[in-house]
This record gives sequence, C-alpha cells and structure tokens, in this order.
Amino acid sequence: MWTTLANAGWAISAVLLLWMLYDWFRTDSTYSEDVLTSSREGEIEAVSEKHKI
Amino acid sequence: MAKYNPPEQSRALQWIDIIFVVAAIFLALWLPLQAGWAGVSRAIQKIDNPTWEALGQTPAQVEQWVKLGFADAAAAHDIIQNKFDYSIDWTQLVIMAVVIIGYFVFLFKASDKEYREVIDEKFNGK
Amino acid sequence: MANTASAASAPQKVSLSRVLGPAHVWALGVGIVLVGEYTGWNFAADKGGTLAALIICWTIGLLYTSVAMIDSEVTSTVAAAGGQYAQAKHIVGPLMAFNVALYLVFAYTMLEVSNAILIADTIKSYAGEGFESWHYEGIIAGVIVTLAALNYRGVLMTLNVNFVITAVAYLAIIVLFFSVQPWSQGTVLRLGEMVTPDNALPYGWIGVIAGFHWGIWYYLGIEGTTQAAEEVRSPARSLPYGTMAGMITLLVGASLTWYVCASLMPWQYLGYTYYPLLDAGKLTGSKTLEYMMFIATILAALASANGCINDAARAWFSLGRDRYLPTWFSAVHPKYRTPYRSILFLVPIALAFAFIANLGQAITFSILSGVLHYTFMSVNIVMFRNKWPLGSIRRGYTHPFHPLPAIVLFILCVVTFFAIFLGYGAQLTAMVVFYIVMSLWFHFYRYRYVRRGEQFTMPWPKPRGY
Repeated sequence: MWTTLANAGWAISAVLLLWMLYDWFRTDSTYSEDVLTSSREGEIEAVSEKHKI
Repeated sequence: MAKYNPPEQSRALQWIDIIFVVAAIFLALWLPLQAGWAGVSRAIQKIDNPTWEALGQTPAQVEQWVKLGFADAAAAHDIIQNKFDYSIDWTQLVIMAVVIIGYFVFLFKASDKEYREVIDEKFNGK
Repeated sequence: MANTASAASAPQKVSLSRVLGPAHVWALGVGIVLVGEYTGWNFAADKGGTLAALIICWTIGLLYTSVAMIDSEVTSTVAAAGGQYAQAKHIVGPLMAFNVALYLVFAYTMLEVSNAILIADTIKSYAGEGFESWHYEGIIAGVIVTLAALNYRGVLMTLNVNFVITAVAYLAIIVLFFSVQPWSQGTVLRLGEMVTPDNALPYGWIGVIAGFHWGIWYYLGIEGTTQAAEEVRSPARSLPYGTMAGMITLLVGASLTWYVCASLMPWQYLGYTYYPLLDAGKLTGSKTLEYMMFIATILAALASANGCINDAARAWFSLGRDRYLPTWFSAVHPKYRTPYRSILFLVPIALAFAFIANLGQAITFSILSGVLHYTFMSVNIVMFRNKWPLGSIRRGYTHPFHPLPAIVLFILCVVTFFAIFLGYGAQLTAMVVFYIVMSLWFHFYRYRYVRRGEQFTMPWPKPRGY
C-alpha cells in the first residue's frame, strides 16, 4: 500500500509539474511582462490605511 | 539631491545574478554537509554487559523501554550512554563571536548609508 | 481559490488578491509551527534532560511572545508581502532588508525540506519491507510538488486547506492529552517515575542552555504570519489577532505535549526519537491513538510545508519587486493572483535539498536563519519607535512594556547563539560567512540596479533624525 502511494507520489508530482510549466508558459506568452510585473508594494496602504492621527 | 536612475540590467546579466545567488545558496548549505561540520561532540560511554540498573533505569522506565521495542538493556545501551561533551573550545567561540558581531556591525552601518540616500531622495529630493 | 472573474479580461495591472481573514493568518502561523511539537522540540531533552525541555519550552515561549508582540506592532503598520523584509527596508535600510529576505527564504525552504523528509521518514517507519529509496523519494517529491501546485493555484484555497489540517493536527494533541487521563498520575502517565531528581537535569544548567537550540523548534515560524500582509482583508486587525491567537494556541499545545511525552518516556528515549507524539500514542497501548498520531504527524508536516512554500515565495517575490533580484521574479499570475514564478523557482531547490540532506541538518539550517532573524527584530523595534515615536503614525497595534520585550528577545538570542555554538559552531560560522558574502555582493554590486526613493512605499512622514 505504501509503495503504491510512493509511486503515485512520483506520478502526481510529474503531472502537476508539467501542468505548472505549461501554465507558466501559457501565462507568459499571453500577457506582457509589464502587466505581469505590475504589482507594487504599498498600494493597499494608499487605498485602505490612512496614516492620519 | 539628484534622483538616482539605475541602469537597465540586460537579460544575460539578470541570469548571471540568479545563477550566482543559487550557487551561493547551494554552497552555503551543501559545504557544511560535505565537510561534516554538522556534528556534535558526543561519544558513547561503553558499559560492558549492561544491565538496566547499570544504565540507571528504574523499573517503571524499563517497562516503557520494553514497550518501545527495546527487549533488553543491551539494545538501549547506545542510546542511553551517548553523552554530550559540553567543554567549550574558546578559540572557536571567539572566532564565532567576532564573525557574528562583525557581520551585524557591517550590516547596520552599510544599511544606514543606503537608508540615508533613500530618505534623501524620498523626502528631500522633491 | 483566487478571485478569477475580474482578472480574466486582459487586465492592465495585477496584484496579489486580498481575500484572507484572521483565521487564515492563524492557520498560516500555527500551521507552519505545529509540526515542531510532533518532532524537533524533544531534542532539547537530548541536550539537557526532560526538565530542561520544559524550562526551555517556557523561556523560548517568552522569546516568541516578544517576537509576536513586536512583529504585530510593526506589521500592522507596514503591511506588505515580504513581511519583515518590508519592515527592515523602511526602518533599517536596504542591505538589512536583503539579508532579512534571505533569512526568510532559507528558514522556510529548509523547514519545508525538513517536513518533506519527516513525512517520508514517518511513512518509511511503518512501510516495512520493500520500501526502497525510490519510494522514499517519491513521497518527498509528491509532497513538495503537490503543495507547490496548491500554492500556485491560489492563496485562499491553500490556507483553507491549511486551516483544516492544522486544526485536525492540533485536536489530535488535545484528544491524546485527555485520553491518557492527565488528572490521575499513575494510571497511564507516570511523570514522577520518568523524571526523577537524578535525571531531571543530567548535564546541569549547561545542558539547559544547550537545549535552547532545539527549543526554538517549539515555535519557529510563527512570525511567518506577516508574509500574508498583502493578502489579508484588514491587515491592521487580522495580523495582530491571528498572530497572538496563534501564539496562545502554541503555548498551550507545547505544554500539553511536554506533559504527555515527559510522563511516558525515559528522557534518553525522548531525546532520541523523531516522533515523540507518535511514540506517546504507541505507549498508551491503544491502536486507535497510535494511528491517530501517525496521521496527525503527517498532517502537521503537510500544513507546515504548505505554509513554508507560501512564505518563502512571498519573500522571494518582494525581492524581485524592489529589483534586489531580477524583476522577473515579481510577476503575479493574472488569473490565480499568486507569485507563480517565485513558487516555481523554489521547487527544484527544495527538492534538491530534500534528496541530499537529513532531518537534523535541514532543521539546523532553518534554526540558524531564524535566530539571525530574531536578533534583527529586537533592534528593529527600537529603531522603529525612535524614528516614528508613538503618535507620529497610525499603528494597528501597539505592544506594551516597550523596550522590555526587545531586551528580552535580544538576550535570549545571544543565549541561543551560544547554544548553537555548543554543537553547531562551525556550521553557524559558515552560514554567517555566506551572509557576509551575499551582503558584500549586494552592497557593492547589486544595489546599483535598485531605485532609491521608490523603495520607501509607506505614506509616512520623514523619520526622526534624518
């Protein structure tokens, strides 16, 4: 039973790794680099937290 | 103070940076493993033909050892007699202290220098 | 799952999604740490005896209460992914921030590795014949890749899963505690016979100090709650609440764990085993309890690895966002709203170490980075209060008794450095040399690519004294 589980571990990790690589490739080719790296630190601060006393 | 404009980094140089960081991480983690530094000074103080009494185990403790699968005192001997040696190697202690203190001093000094630039540009530059 | 609807139609801007509540913060913090009760803390007994493990449990508990209080104050004010990294950047300076991010990535990645190894070891100990190294590695790969994929798919699902498995693993400790009839010593528990005046502190007080090294493992990672700062709905409220609740949960859990294990095992065995709680389950004689603890050990390790992937990726992602590392890492997945490149990048590193290191070594690496990190925190809070005194900016939470927690934290860190020296001195020195090399590299080379004023992103007034 445990050896089956271990073999399944290899199979699942191979499938998921391939899926992630595929999704990564698809995402990178669908969106421009500017959009993908457009996250900026502190944006939520500007919206939600006002540092006024 | 003039605003600092960083140079654009080429793709190739970005890759070199990534490779450098990964190589450094592997070296730092792997070298101590390879060199066998990750060791504690401890030694098994051997007792010949050990009995539970010689190993300092009370009847209640012996009962638990047996439940855990250690049928006789000989089986548990290596675990029980594996003692630490806490004598201090002063040279090594001094080296370690110097390295750590030096590291933190450099860290805070250099950070402060960089931090002043940041604050200058953010608050005084405009 | 992340908010997918709004992101589907060609967005202009993507950011991490703000979907988490206090329960997720709790699940992230406790999830990462709880595995420490299932393995690791008991090596403190190896170093100093069973009583030392209890003294350390509470002293290190004090250290971490200070960490949680200090962290809550700073994070409820600096709410950004990267947690202590963003704190260091705003309070101490860029080089410190770079180092802190490395501590975080190291501590969490090595903790993730330890968890994967622990799961494989646990299964191996029950699998018996025919379980080869191919199978052992299959378990490790399965754990690391599956959890990475879960993290890749979205933070909400990741932490919902963490909440459930953490709660189950914690309940298992409570169930074990009550099923051994803790109120009547002598029935199952025999504390007085396991811990006698002769063996309570077999090495004396030096053993207690040496044990600090492993005592860190009771709570290591609770500070990881701050990594979620950019993804919680209300950071100023959820982070202090989730972190403090997590700390209380852990203090209770650690004390119960000690009581049960100390009452069932001779100290030499307690310091030797990798599975103190699983063995406690075994020693009750009940198969149900044994299997329950077997499953709970695996669940606790899964929850921890899961949270570690989340945190390490956030820290790595923030480094890219500030150009401390190539900006390529700062990409956010437009659909799943996760730092997907950072998550993927760390997978092969984790796998490589899980295949070459053993449990003790991986844990030690993690602890070393943790202690360097806490040393920074004690100085950080003092600088924070000096640069922005109370009243100059709005804090989500203000911790009491300042600067007492900072001083306590600093002293305990120094003691822990000494404890690590008793056994892992060379490794600690090597590790610090690594950080020195990285610091020189950053300060004299890499920093030229960083925009100066833009790193300071908080809408705060100018710090006092500049």
